[in-house]
Amino acid sequence: MGDGTRVATRASAAIVPMADSPSGQAVAEDRPFAAVAREHLDRLYGFCVRLAGNAADGEDLLQESLLRAMRAYPELREPDRAKGWLFAIATNVWRDQLRARGRRVQTTSLDGLDENGDNFSLFQTLAIEDPFPYSDELHLDFLRLFRDEDVQAVFGAINPVFRLPLILTVVHGFSCKEAAAVVGVPLGTLLSRLHRGRKQLERGLWEYAVVNGLVTEINEP
Amino acid sequence: MIDCPEAVRRMWSYLEQALAAEPLAEFEAHLDTCTRCCGELEFSRHLRELVATPEATTAIPPDVRSRIDRILMLDADRDAKVAR
Repeated sequence: MGDGTRVATRASAAIVPMADSPSGQAVAEDRPFAAVAREHLDRLYGFCVRLAGNAADGEDLLQESLLRAMRAYPELREPDRAKGWLFAIATNVWRDQLRARGRRVQTTSLDGLDENGDNFSLFQTLAIEDPFPYSDELHLDFLRLFRDEDVQAVFGAINPVFRLPLILTVVHGFSCKEAAAVVGVPLGTLLSRLHRGRKQLERGLWEYAVVNGLVTEINEP
Repeated sequence: MIDCPEAVRRMWSYLEQALAAEPLAEFEAHLDTCTRCCGELEFSRHLRELVATPEATTAIPPDVRSRIDRILMLDADRDAKVAR
Protein backbone atom coordinates (compact mmCIF):
# COMPACT_ATOMS: atom_id res chain seq x y z
CA MET A 1 0.00 0.00 0.00
CA GLY A 2 1.17 3.53 -0.49
CA ASP A 3 0.28 7.02 -1.49
CA GLY A 4 -1.99 5.91 -4.27
CA THR A 5 -4.12 3.78 -2.04
CA ARG A 6 -7.61 4.82 -1.13
CA VAL A 7 -9.51 2.52 1.12
CA ALA A 8 -13.25 2.86 1.14
CA THR A 9 -14.36 3.29 4.70
CA ARG A 10 -17.80 1.84 4.25
CA ALA A 11 -18.14 -1.88 4.33
CA SER A 12 -20.45 -1.84 1.37
CA ALA A 13 -17.65 -0.46 -0.75
CA ALA A 14 -14.66 -2.11 0.84
CA ILE A 15 -12.52 -1.77 -2.22
CA VAL A 16 -9.06 -0.38 -2.68
CA PRO A 17 -9.10 1.44 -5.99
CA MET A 18 -5.66 2.59 -7.03
CA ALA A 19 -5.50 6.12 -8.33
CA ASP A 20 -2.22 5.37 -10.08
CA SER A 21 -3.36 2.17 -11.71
CA PRO A 22 -1.84 2.57 -15.18
CA SER A 23 -4.63 1.07 -17.20
CA GLY A 24 -7.53 1.69 -14.87
CA GLN A 25 -8.59 -1.86 -15.58
CA ALA A 26 -9.19 -4.53 -13.00
CA VAL A 27 -6.27 -6.93 -12.89
CA ALA A 28 -7.32 -9.04 -9.92
CA GLU A 29 -8.67 -11.75 -12.20
CA ASP A 30 -5.09 -12.62 -13.16
CA ARG A 31 -4.83 -14.51 -9.89
CA PRO A 32 -7.63 -16.51 -8.29
CA PHE A 33 -9.07 -15.06 -5.12
CA ALA A 34 -8.49 -18.32 -3.28
CA ALA A 35 -4.74 -18.07 -3.89
CA VAL A 36 -4.62 -14.49 -2.62
CA ALA A 37 -6.73 -15.34 0.41
CA ARG A 38 -4.64 -18.39 1.32
CA GLU A 39 -1.46 -16.34 1.14
CA HIS A 40 -2.72 -14.03 3.89
CA LEU A 41 -5.01 -16.40 5.74
CA ASP A 42 -2.98 -17.00 8.91
CA ARG A 43 -2.27 -13.32 9.44
CA LEU A 44 -5.86 -12.38 8.67
CA TYR A 45 -7.08 -14.97 11.16
CA GLY A 46 -4.77 -13.59 13.87
CA PHE A 47 -5.97 -10.07 13.07
CA CYS A 48 -9.64 -11.08 13.28
CA VAL A 49 -9.19 -12.86 16.61
CA ARG A 50 -7.35 -9.89 18.12
CA LEU A 51 -9.85 -7.42 16.73
CA ALA A 52 -12.92 -9.38 17.85
CA GLY A 53 -11.38 -10.12 21.23
CA ASN A 54 -11.97 -13.88 21.22
CA ALA A 55 -11.55 -16.90 18.93
CA ALA A 56 -15.24 -17.60 18.27
CA ASP A 57 -16.07 -14.05 17.19
CA GLY A 58 -12.76 -13.86 15.34
CA GLU A 59 -13.66 -16.92 13.27
CA ASP A 60 -17.03 -15.44 12.36
CA LEU A 61 -15.32 -12.20 11.44
CA LEU A 62 -12.81 -14.04 9.25
CA GLN A 63 -15.52 -15.98 7.44
CA GLU A 64 -17.69 -12.93 6.75
CA SER A 65 -14.65 -10.92 5.67
CA LEU A 66 -13.62 -13.56 3.16
CA LEU A 67 -17.13 -13.77 1.73
CA ARG A 68 -17.24 -10.02 1.32
CA ALA A 69 -13.75 -9.92 -0.14
CA MET A 70 -14.65 -12.66 -2.59
CA ARG A 71 -17.54 -10.58 -3.91
CA ALA A 72 -15.42 -7.43 -4.19
CA TYR A 73 -12.31 -9.11 -5.56
CA PRO A 74 -12.97 -8.39 -9.26
CA GLU A 75 -12.78 -4.70 -8.40
CA LEU A 76 -9.37 -4.93 -6.73
CA ARG A 77 -6.98 -3.21 -9.11
CA GLU A 78 -3.67 -4.22 -7.54
CA PRO A 79 -3.59 -7.74 -6.10
CA ASP A 80 -0.05 -7.06 -4.86
CA ARG A 81 -1.65 -4.90 -2.23
CA ALA A 82 -4.21 -7.47 -1.26
CA LYS A 83 -3.03 -7.74 2.33
CA GLY A 84 -4.08 -4.19 3.22
CA TRP A 85 -7.25 -4.60 1.19
CA LEU A 86 -8.22 -7.75 3.10
CA PHE A 87 -7.45 -6.13 6.45
CA ALA A 88 -9.53 -3.08 5.49
CA ILE A 89 -12.47 -5.30 4.62
CA ALA A 90 -12.14 -7.17 7.91
CA THR A 91 -12.05 -3.84 9.73
CA ASN A 92 -15.25 -2.73 8.01
CA VAL A 93 -16.99 -6.04 8.67
CA TRP A 94 -15.97 -5.79 12.33
CA ARG A 95 -17.50 -2.29 12.53
CA ASP A 96 -20.70 -3.54 10.92
CA GLN A 97 -20.90 -6.47 13.31
CA LEU A 98 -20.51 -4.17 16.30
CA ARG A 99 -23.26 -1.93 14.95
CA ALA A 100 -25.51 -4.93 14.35
CA ARG A 101 -25.02 -5.93 17.97
CA GLY A 102 -25.96 -2.46 19.07
CA ARG A 103 -22.46 -1.54 20.12
CA ARG A 104 -21.33 1.76 18.76
CA VAL A 105 -17.68 2.20 17.89
CA GLN A 106 -16.72 5.45 19.47
CA THR A 107 -14.39 7.50 17.32
CA THR A 108 -15.05 11.21 17.07
CA SER A 109 -15.75 11.92 20.70
CA LEU A 110 -12.73 9.90 21.79
CA ASP A 111 -10.44 11.57 19.28
CA GLY A 112 -11.74 14.90 20.43
CA LEU A 113 -10.58 14.41 23.98
CA ASP A 114 -7.52 16.20 25.24
CA GLU A 115 -4.57 14.13 24.11
CA ASN A 116 -3.00 14.66 27.50
CA GLY A 117 -6.15 13.36 29.15
CA ASP A 118 -4.40 10.12 29.98
CA ASN A 119 -1.17 11.14 31.61
CA PHE A 120 -0.43 7.77 33.15
CA SER A 121 3.19 6.78 32.61
CA LEU A 122 4.14 3.19 33.34
CA PHE A 123 7.80 4.13 33.12
CA GLN A 124 7.39 6.79 35.78
CA THR A 125 5.03 4.73 37.94
CA LEU A 126 7.57 1.91 38.12
CA ALA A 127 10.30 4.35 39.10
CA ILE A 128 8.13 5.81 41.85
CA GLU A 129 6.56 2.61 43.16
CA ASP A 130 9.80 0.65 42.77
CA PRO A 131 8.19 -2.79 43.10
CA PHE A 132 11.55 -4.57 42.80
CA PRO A 133 13.87 -2.52 45.02
CA TYR A 134 16.84 -4.83 44.49
CA SER A 135 16.51 -5.02 40.72
CA ASP A 136 19.11 -3.58 38.38
CA GLU A 137 16.60 -3.81 35.55
CA LEU A 138 13.45 -2.58 37.22
CA HIS A 139 11.48 -1.78 34.07
CA LEU A 140 12.46 -4.92 32.20
CA ASP A 141 11.79 -7.09 35.22
CA PHE A 142 8.28 -5.70 35.30
CA LEU A 143 7.66 -6.64 31.67
CA ARG A 144 9.10 -10.10 32.30
CA LEU A 145 6.27 -10.78 34.75
CA PHE A 146 3.78 -11.05 31.90
CA ARG A 147 3.03 -14.31 30.15
CA ASP A 148 1.44 -14.24 26.70
CA GLU A 149 -2.03 -14.79 28.15
CA ASP A 150 -1.54 -11.90 30.57
CA VAL A 151 -0.58 -9.60 27.70
CA GLN A 152 -3.57 -10.78 25.70
CA ALA A 153 -5.90 -10.09 28.62
CA VAL A 154 -4.60 -6.54 29.00
CA PHE A 155 -4.51 -5.97 25.26
CA GLY A 156 -8.08 -7.17 24.87
CA ALA A 157 -9.29 -4.63 27.42
CA ILE A 158 -7.99 -1.64 25.44
CA ASN A 159 -10.71 0.40 23.75
CA PRO A 160 -11.03 -1.18 20.29
CA VAL A 161 -10.65 2.17 18.56
CA PHE A 162 -7.18 2.49 20.06
CA ARG A 163 -6.39 -1.21 19.94
CA LEU A 164 -6.85 -1.37 16.17
CA PRO A 165 -3.82 0.85 15.28
CA LEU A 166 -1.68 -1.14 17.72
CA ILE A 167 -2.68 -4.40 16.09
CA LEU A 168 -2.04 -3.13 12.59
CA THR A 169 1.32 -1.49 13.25
CA VAL A 170 2.93 -3.34 16.13
CA VAL A 171 1.60 -6.85 15.53
CA HIS A 172 1.16 -6.93 11.76
CA GLY A 173 3.88 -4.58 10.60
CA PHE A 174 1.85 -2.05 8.64
CA SER A 175 3.43 1.37 8.40
CA CYS A 176 1.39 4.09 10.06
CA LYS A 177 0.43 5.44 6.66
CA GLU A 178 -0.76 2.01 5.55
CA ALA A 179 -2.61 1.50 8.83
CA ALA A 180 -4.33 4.86 8.40
CA ALA A 181 -5.53 3.72 4.96
CA VAL A 182 -6.80 0.43 6.38
CA VAL A 183 -8.72 2.19 9.16
CA GLY A 184 -9.84 4.97 6.83
CA VAL A 185 -8.59 7.92 8.88
CA PRO A 186 -5.94 10.62 8.31
CA LEU A 187 -2.40 9.80 9.40
CA GLY A 188 -2.54 12.31 12.27
CA THR A 189 -5.63 10.63 13.67
CA LEU A 190 -3.97 7.25 13.43
CA LEU A 191 -0.89 8.50 15.28
CA SER A 192 -3.03 10.05 17.98
CA ARG A 193 -4.96 6.79 18.42
CA LEU A 194 -1.70 4.84 18.51
CA HIS A 195 -0.49 7.02 21.36
CA ARG A 196 -3.77 6.66 23.22
CA GLY A 197 -3.68 2.91 22.76
CA ARG A 198 -0.20 2.76 24.13
CA LYS A 199 -1.28 4.79 27.18
CA GLN A 200 -4.19 2.42 27.80
CA LEU A 201 -1.79 -0.50 27.43
CA GLU A 202 0.57 1.00 30.01
CA ARG A 203 -2.20 1.65 32.50
CA GLY A 204 -3.70 -1.77 31.84
CA LEU A 205 -0.42 -3.57 32.48
CA TRP A 206 0.12 -1.78 35.77
CA GLU A 207 -3.44 -2.35 37.01
CA TYR A 208 -3.33 -5.99 35.91
CA ALA A 209 -0.07 -6.48 37.78
CA VAL A 210 -1.49 -4.95 40.96
CA VAL A 211 -4.86 -6.74 40.82
CA ASN A 212 -3.25 -10.11 40.11
CA GLY A 213 -0.58 -9.73 42.73
CA LEU A 214 2.32 -9.61 40.28
CA VAL A 215 3.55 -6.56 42.16
CA THR A 216 2.66 -5.04 45.46
CA GLU A 217 1.69 -1.43 45.17
CA ILE A 218 3.61 0.58 47.71
CA ASN A 219 1.73 3.49 49.19
CA GLU A 220 3.91 5.68 51.31
CA PRO A 221 2.09 7.31 54.24
CA MET B 1 12.64 22.66 21.80
CA ILE B 2 10.01 20.19 22.91
CA ASP B 3 9.41 19.15 26.52
CA CYS B 4 9.21 15.64 28.02
CA PRO B 5 5.41 15.18 27.69
CA GLU B 6 5.61 16.09 24.02
CA ALA B 7 8.58 13.78 23.52
CA VAL B 8 6.66 10.93 25.16
CA ARG B 9 3.68 11.70 22.92
CA ARG B 10 5.91 11.28 19.84
CA MET B 11 7.68 8.18 21.12
CA TRP B 12 5.65 5.43 19.47
CA SER B 13 5.37 7.41 16.26
CA TYR B 14 9.16 7.52 16.37
CA LEU B 15 9.38 3.78 16.91
CA GLU B 16 7.02 3.29 13.97
CA GLN B 17 9.23 5.63 11.89
CA ALA B 18 6.21 7.80 11.27
CA LEU B 19 7.54 11.20 12.34
CA ALA B 20 7.99 13.83 9.65
CA ALA B 21 11.37 15.52 9.31
CA GLU B 22 10.79 18.47 11.62
CA PRO B 23 9.08 16.61 14.51
CA LEU B 24 11.77 13.95 14.18
CA ALA B 25 14.57 16.50 14.45
CA GLU B 26 12.91 18.06 17.49
CA PHE B 27 12.46 14.66 19.09
CA GLU B 28 16.06 13.63 18.53
CA ALA B 29 17.31 17.00 19.80
CA HIS B 30 15.31 16.39 22.97
CA LEU B 31 16.84 12.94 23.40
CA ASP B 32 20.31 14.48 23.16
CA THR B 33 19.64 16.39 26.36
CA CYS B 34 17.23 14.15 28.32
CA THR B 35 18.39 10.87 29.84
CA ARG B 36 14.92 10.25 31.29
CA CYS B 37 13.29 10.19 27.86
CA CYS B 38 16.14 8.04 26.52
CA GLY B 39 15.27 5.55 29.26
CA GLU B 40 11.57 5.70 28.48
CA LEU B 41 12.26 5.24 24.78
CA GLU B 42 14.24 2.08 25.52
CA PHE B 43 11.41 0.89 27.77
CA SER B 44 8.92 1.64 25.00
CA ARG B 45 10.92 -0.55 22.61
CA HIS B 46 10.64 -3.46 25.03
CA LEU B 47 6.97 -2.75 25.68
CA ARG B 48 6.35 -2.77 21.94
CA GLU B 49 8.13 -6.12 21.62
CA LEU B 50 6.00 -7.53 24.41
CA VAL B 51 2.86 -6.80 22.40
CA ALA B 52 4.32 -7.77 19.02
CA THR B 53 5.78 -11.12 19.96
CA PRO B 54 2.86 -13.50 20.33
CA GLU B 55 0.50 -14.41 17.58
CA ALA B 56 1.58 -12.18 14.71
CA THR B 57 0.66 -15.24 12.72
CA THR B 58 -1.63 -17.68 14.39
CA ALA B 59 -2.18 -21.12 12.99
CA ILE B 60 -5.83 -21.54 12.11
CA PRO B 61 -7.51 -24.44 13.93
CA PRO B 62 -8.13 -27.37 11.53
CA ASP B 63 -11.93 -27.13 11.73
CA VAL B 64 -11.87 -23.42 10.89
CA ARG B 65 -9.47 -24.04 8.03
CA SER B 66 -11.84 -26.68 6.64
CA ARG B 67 -14.71 -24.23 6.77
CA ILE B 68 -12.62 -21.56 5.04
CA ASP B 69 -11.47 -24.05 2.39
CA ARG B 70 -15.10 -24.80 1.56
CA ILE B 71 -15.76 -21.08 1.11
CA LEU B 72 -12.73 -20.66 -1.12
CA MET B 73 -13.74 -23.67 -3.19
CA LEU B 74 -17.08 -22.00 -3.84
CA ASP B 75 -15.15 -19.21 -5.49
CA ALA B 76 -13.06 -21.63 -7.50
CA ASP B 77 -16.22 -23.37 -8.70
CA ARG B 78 -17.69 -20.06 -9.73
CA ASP B 79 -14.54 -19.17 -11.66
CA ALA B 80 -14.64 -22.54 -13.43
CA LYS B 81 -18.24 -21.97 -14.49
CA VAL B 82 -17.41 -18.51 -15.81
CA ALA B 83 -14.48 -19.97 -17.78
CA ARG B 84 -16.77 -22.53 -19.40
